[in-house]
Amino acid sequence: MEEQPLWYKDAIIYQVHVRSFYDANGDGIGDFQGLEQKLEYLQELGITAIWLMPFFPSPLRDDGYDIADYRSVNPSYGNLDDFKKFLKSAHDREIRVIIEMVLNHTSDQHPWFQQSRSSRDNPYREWYVWNETDARYKETRIIFIDTELSNWAWDPVSKAYYWHRFFSHQPDLNFDNPAVREEMWDVMKFWLEMGVDGFRLDAIPYLIERDGTNCENLPETHDVIKDLRRRLDTVFPGRMLLAEANQWPADLRPYFADGDEFHMAFHFPLMPRMFMGLKLEDRKPITEILQQTPEIPANCQWCLFLRNHDELTLEMVTDIERDYMYDMYAGDKAMRLNLGIRRRLSPLLENDRRRIELMNGMLMSLPGTPIIYYGDEIGMGDNIKLGDRNGVRTPMQWSGGWNGGFSTADPETLYAPLILNPVYGYPATNAMSQRRTPHSLLSWMRRIITVRRSTKVFSNGSIEFLYPANHRILAYVRRFEKETVLIVNNLSSAAQAVELDLKRFKGNILVEMFGKNIFPRIGDLPYLLTLGPYQFYWFRLRRI
Amino acid sequence: MPEEIAVADRSTTVRAEIKLTEESFLSDDCVRQLMGVGEIDILIGLPTHNNAKTIASSVAAIQDGILRWFPRERAAILNVDGGSRDGTPDLILNAAIDDIRGRKFRNALRTLPSVSTKYGNSAERGTAFRTILAAADLLSAKACVVLSPESNITPEWLPALLSPIYRENFDLVLPSYIRQKFDGLLVSNLLYPLARALYGLRIHEPYATDFSFSGRLGSQFLTQNTWNSDIDRAAFEVRFSTAAITGAYKICQSSLGVKPHVERKSADLVPVLRQTIGELFCVMDPTFAWWSGKNGSEPIPVSGVAPQVELEPVRINRKRLGKMFQTGVAELQSVFQAILSPNTMAELQHIAQTNEDDPFYPSELWVKTVYEFAAAYHKSVINRDHIVQALAPLFRGRVQTFLLENKNSSSAEMENNVENLCLEFERLKPYLLEMWK
Amino acid sequence: MREIIVSELTGAIQELARDFARFLPRLIVLVIIALAGLLIAWLLKYIVRSVLRLIKFDKLSENAGASQLLAKAALPSSTELVSRLVFWLAWLGFILLGVSALGILGMDEQVARFFYFLPRLFVALFIVFFGLLAASFFSRAALLAAVNANYPSARLLSASIRVVIMVFVFSMATEELGIAEQTVLLAFGIAFGAIMLGLAIAFGIGGQELARRFLEKRFAHENRGEENEDELSTL
Repeated sequence: MEEQPLWYKDAIIYQVHVRSFYDANGDGIGDFQGLEQKLEYLQELGITAIWLMPFFPSPLRDDGYDIADYRSVNPSYGNLDDFKKFLKSAHDREIRVIIEMVLNHTSDQHPWFQQSRSSRDNPYREWYVWNETDARYKETRIIFIDTELSNWAWDPVSKAYYWHRFFSHQPDLNFDNPAVREEMWDVMKFWLEMGVDGFRLDAIPYLIERDGTNCENLPETHDVIKDLRRRLDTVFPGRMLLAEANQWPADLRPYFADGDEFHMAFHFPLMPRMFMGLKLEDRKPITEILQQTPEIPANCQWCLFLRNHDELTLEMVTDIERDYMYDMYAGDKAMRLNLGIRRRLSPLLENDRRRIELMNGMLMSLPGTPIIYYGDEIGMGDNIKLGDRNGVRTPMQWSGGWNGGFSTADPETLYAPLILNPVYGYPATNAMSQRRTPHSLLSWMRRIITVRRSTKVFSNGSIEFLYPANHRILAYVRRFEKETVLIVNNLSSAAQAVELDLKRFKGNILVEMFGKNIFPRIGDLPYLLTLGPYQFYWFRLRRI
Repeated sequence: MPEEIAVADRSTTVRAEIKLTEESFLSDDCVRQLMGVGEIDILIGLPTHNNAKTIASSVAAIQDGILRWFPRERAAILNVDGGSRDGTPDLILNAAIDDIRGRKFRNALRTLPSVSTKYGNSAERGTAFRTILAAADLLSAKACVVLSPESNITPEWLPALLSPIYRENFDLVLPSYIRQKFDGLLVSNLLYPLARALYGLRIHEPYATDFSFSGRLGSQFLTQNTWNSDIDRAAFEVRFSTAAITGAYKICQSSLGVKPHVERKSADLVPVLRQTIGELFCVMDPTFAWWSGKNGSEPIPVSGVAPQVELEPVRINRKRLGKMFQTGVAELQSVFQAILSPNTMAELQHIAQTNEDDPFYPSELWVKTVYEFAAAYHKSVINRDHIVQALAPLFRGRVQTFLLENKNSSSAEMENNVENLCLEFERLKPYLLEMWK
Repeated sequence: MREIIVSELTGAIQELARDFARFLPRLIVLVIIALAGLLIAWLLKYIVRSVLRLIKFDKLSENAGASQLLAKAALPSSTELVSRLVFWLAWLGFILLGVSALGILGMDEQVARFFYFLPRLFVALFIVFFGLLAASFFSRAALLAAVNANYPSARLLSASIRVVIMVFVFSMATEELGIAEQTVLLAFGIAFGAIMLGLAIAFGIGGQELARRFLEKRFAHENRGEENEDELSTL
């Protein structure tokens, strides 16, 4: 792959779980061989990077985030050779690969923990956080509130408590221990040498614990990361670190530091507000959170997303906003989980093509690198009857045939059941049908990705909001070098008229970016635009 | 020659177009601002004129009320300003809850825009109300509340006025206040009893500056009424409640707490009479068919509980009222002769001439006086505005007697006396019908 | 001698008869015109009465206060009066026409003068009528305003306004009719001027204090004093 130090700023990332994508060996579980076979589909879609969910050996009690061996591949998905082949094919197609790296905790089945708990004198003892009582770090919140009652778990083998920020079977590693740090760097080096382009560092705010704090975002945690970054830049320049930290923007800013910590971080608070703004038909939630978003160093980038493998988190909203979101988007209480909503994009938007397009339009035009969750490009549905968050992790729907084209195995042996209902089921919603239809959602996604990639304004440009009197219209201007793009979004289900103050851009002709037709030139008067329900415009400003 | 003909054709076309398009009373700027607001559920109308001192707290109370009781509803504040010179409209615009001004409202789910427009002459309250009606209609508001910035607005007023409309399908919510003793005597001695006897509904405040109405009622009133005469432009309150009554809309009253006493000058009485009793007399004509058949009166539902508060009585110079009454009767004899029946005239003169200090104006005579005035207005025996003006000294006389009767009464006893007066009005309604013919 | 008397007498009688015979057709014409005039005048009266009833003239004249005046003078109502006036004027006009047909010297001129006079008479009546209306309206308006503003001697003010307007109106009417024009004009001028001068002196010298207080009230928005304290609370 060519050298491009800031490749992640221009990337279009596709988040996928190898288990859910394509099963090549017919055992009912997706694998790397299958993923490799589907790279052509991904290249056609236009994405430039794949983010793989954890594929390490694991008891799979947290969908792979409970890792039992950091240097191997879960046999269900293949082996290291399969992975290397896949990696090479991806690079050949100009697609980079980002993998998960769970630093904060391991599975309780990991040999390190088995050793650690066996006795207090074991060399691995201090690799985890042990205590005699559960009275320490009392100010720390519980993340999985639906299943865990405490951040401490009693280990009957060791007769002591161990610290876990997530499930009780995922004990936290002790990052105050230099041995732990060295080992984790070694793990990362293992994959970097193989050619992996970046890591998504899961659960990063919780690395270090200290008394009298809430054990999140501590300065010591930042030191750990800075150290990792330094080593990365020295030995593997051009590789990327992506932070998963569900925090307010102001609290996220330190993770970029001076451009010497993370390259990218997810902008968690924006995502629920996009859904909220859509339901309220009011841009206020969106503009307010972006107004609060601090500037980041020039070599850093936000990661934007609509949905992912987790629940749509409502941690970073007020109570009144959370109640509203629950009532509007998760009327059925079964959809609610851990202060969030566990539904896919399409069902959340009631399978409304216009709203799906609008949300993707905002995803592609707001400042940041967009991430597409697998299946959302064809509008896949979810199955909330599957426990935890598995309802949004069902097999990819490739065709209307046997097992939706996912696997040749017996349907009963699939790792998870396929979506069957007449609206979202694989006979109705699948990649093959949509590839053949020029106006399917998939075809539309390809087009918008093409337009997005046609200019660097979206990936690198500044953003300036216009505040037209009509609060149902979200309008902003992106600029980069000599290019200026105006984006206008109608968040309302009704047609709207809006007058935009574009006096600064007087004399420019608006060129609509999808159809390339010209719109009236900007004069002295406010620029009047009319938009249909949920419609959006991308205009390039041209002066001739 | 061809050019000449062409020019002539164009000019006639232009003339025809001007005829089709008449002047709209909504300015372009107002329409543009309304376009920005879009469809809403609740509209708050706020007529102002030089209210900079109190407007900030009024707007804050309104916003607080909406955010607490109607957080998910789409609401907007419409300020109709009569040419303030102290920056009142700007204060309202700058207080809007939105993302433009960069202020944070943690408990505000959505934008609460503020719109301001000028309606011309500050005395034309009818035109101001018409603007609010037009905006409510254009924005398809389900409920609209009109508040006066001179009232002591509290956040609780919003649910008190809006919930019956928004959640219980009422069309008009009128306020009910706790008043100081001897406050609002025009309402208690004339407007309330007369309106009640005529229209059969016990509306305590037929002339309200703080009230709310449904989109249905507002749109109907907007289309069916003319707004051309001076009196239509000056006042609307009585016409509006009458339209609701005669249109068989659902009406209720809501308790709004204590009404602050507004200082008045003696010269204000005639303009107030014009806008209240003048309007009432005026609507009696077109609604004759409705009220002529009504007997007695019914109470209307009350929402909210009125706090039990005893307030200080308002101080009034009773002697002066008596003097003005006596002078009025003496000097206006020629005018009264055209209006009143000979019997009533004789009785009034008798009262005015005896009892030097405290003329006693019995309620039955007062009722007959009012009814004869109404009939005279209907027949236009003299200029109608003069008829209304002539009522002023007689009203003062009546108030004087009322004050005397209730000098030492408690609020409850006074209310009882007002009730008796109302019953008297109802009892003598046939007399009105007789005089009307 | 008897024969001379008889023949002279006969001759005179014959001449008289001849003159009478010459005169008779003109007399007949006069009678015919008079009768025709009666019919037409009566028709006119009927039309005018209907028109006046239609526009509720009685009501208008009541407002003007004319009806009251007529009633006091035991005259019939305004409509009736006007219709009768029209009737008599019309019939008189026709009779005069007939008289002019008689061919009596000097009558023509008089008849012509009558007909020139007629329109001016109507205009004058018109002025008087509407003048009465205006006087009544303004005097009543002033009365009500004064009483409600608690001015002393409201009736005096009202009556003087009425008088002033009436004087003005009658002057205009007489000027229109051309009756004693100069006298009336002069008298009016003198009276009006005297009143104005008197008022100016009174107000300027005698009413200095009042003038000052009035101006202060107008332009300085000061406390209006005892007059407006503890005023009755209406709403």
